[in-house]
Amino acid sequence: MPSRASRSLAAVWAILRKECRSEWRTRYGLNSALLFAVTALVAVSFGAGRLGDRVDVLAAMLWIVLLFATLASLSHAFVREVEGQTLSMLRRVASPTEIAIGKLLFNLLFLAVLEIVTVPLFLVLMGAPPPRWGTFLALLALGSLALAVSSTLLGALIAQSRGRGALFAGVSFPVLLPVLAAAVSGTRAQWQQLPAGGEIRLLAAYGAALMAASLLLYDHLWEE
Amino acid sequence: MEIKLEGNGLGHRYGRGRGLEPLSFALSGPGVVAVTGPNGSGKSTLLRILAGLLRPSAGASTLRVERCEFERAERRKVTGWASPDLHFYGELTVRENLEFAAEARGLTGRSVAVREVVGSVGLTSRLDDRAAALSTGMHQRLRLAFALLGSPPILLLDEPGSHLDAAGKGHLVEVLTRVRATTRVVLATNDPGERDLAEQSIALAGRGLGDTA
Repeated sequence: MPSRASRSLAAVWAILRKECRSEWRTRYGLNSALLFAVTALVAVSFGAGRLGDRVDVLAAMLWIVLLFATLASLSHAFVREVEGQTLSMLRRVASPTEIAIGKLLFNLLFLAVLEIVTVPLFLVLMGAPPPRWGTFLALLALGSLALAVSSTLLGALIAQSRGRGALFAGVSFPVLLPVLAAAVSGTRAQWQQLPAGGEIRLLAAYGAALMAASLLLYDHLWEE
Repeated sequence: MEIKLEGNGLGHRYGRGRGLEPLSFALSGPGVVAVTGPNGSGKSTLLRILAGLLRPSAGASTLRVERCEFERAERRKVTGWASPDLHFYGELTVRENLEFAAEARGLTGRSVAVREVVGSVGLTSRLDDRAAALSTGMHQRLRLAFALLGSPPILLLDEPGSHLDAAGKGHLVEVLTRVRATTRVVLATNDPGERDLAEQSIALAGRGLGDTA
């Protein structure tokens, strides 16, 4: 008989695969996220030209593009289940924590795909100076983790509420502000050849704290 | 198989409206019990509580299989649930929906298990159709297949015959006849034909949501 841990892993894996398959069939989030990112980058590069000497603006722009391109899609991971009335089916096959971890992994994968397309395009179109790759990739990875963990948690919390769109915007602002501030500050610092260790540690700690809070909360979600 | 299903003062309120009047019952061993009552009397609510999807606002339910007691969060492992509230991923095929459920539950021999349950409800020819393309009756068959997946010892079937044609109802009778010796089936229904399949019944008398008392 499979152990409890291996059953949970199987459930998380099944949910991740199901999310990928659903996204591939519907292109619900990826198309709109990519369209937004590419359009925003092309429009800014036409309007403002190359901004290689303004690394403060570049750092802010990079994270604004990533945030807006992903936010609507990430929060919709749970909203889609409620609107498609499939949450009961999902709850019959996995625990809330397994569901949330499966969706978090999908959100991370989604962000990774988006960044693989968006970040090189950003560096080229904006004429950004060459980044310090180790620091830059660490900031991207930890910033994305914090973004995905917080959006998944907030998406799960607001999914069954009325007026969830407005609620998500209101609730996500204070939760995402520390992520954005640390990510922008760290990205600017690495372009200015300044140390960014503080921002990296902050993003890692914030992501870990949100993850711990999520794991404590998920099993109490969707109580009817 | 030792199966015990008990309710002790089990009741539920939706806001100010009553969803299920307090109810006590004790069922043991395999067999079919019909839960009957007027619309809004709490048949679906009772089944959602027993399935672990709803926390009762009064009383408690106990579910034991082979001397193991299953708390609310664990009940999905030993119960199969089919209800009009159960919906599937329209963008996935019948096979993909059921294989996803089997995989998430950690069932071994998933493909065989899916083919078996789909065959038992007469849905084999639609296995590779997307769920969104199914008719209401075919959707109902898919719900039954989902409940039967993994041969759970307890089946909670909420109006299982609704929207089924004669062939679909035939499949339902065949399934119930086959599993009744090994499975405790709780059948929420007002259909006289389905009621006749049960050897016991629980009659709910409440007025349900209309009753704000």
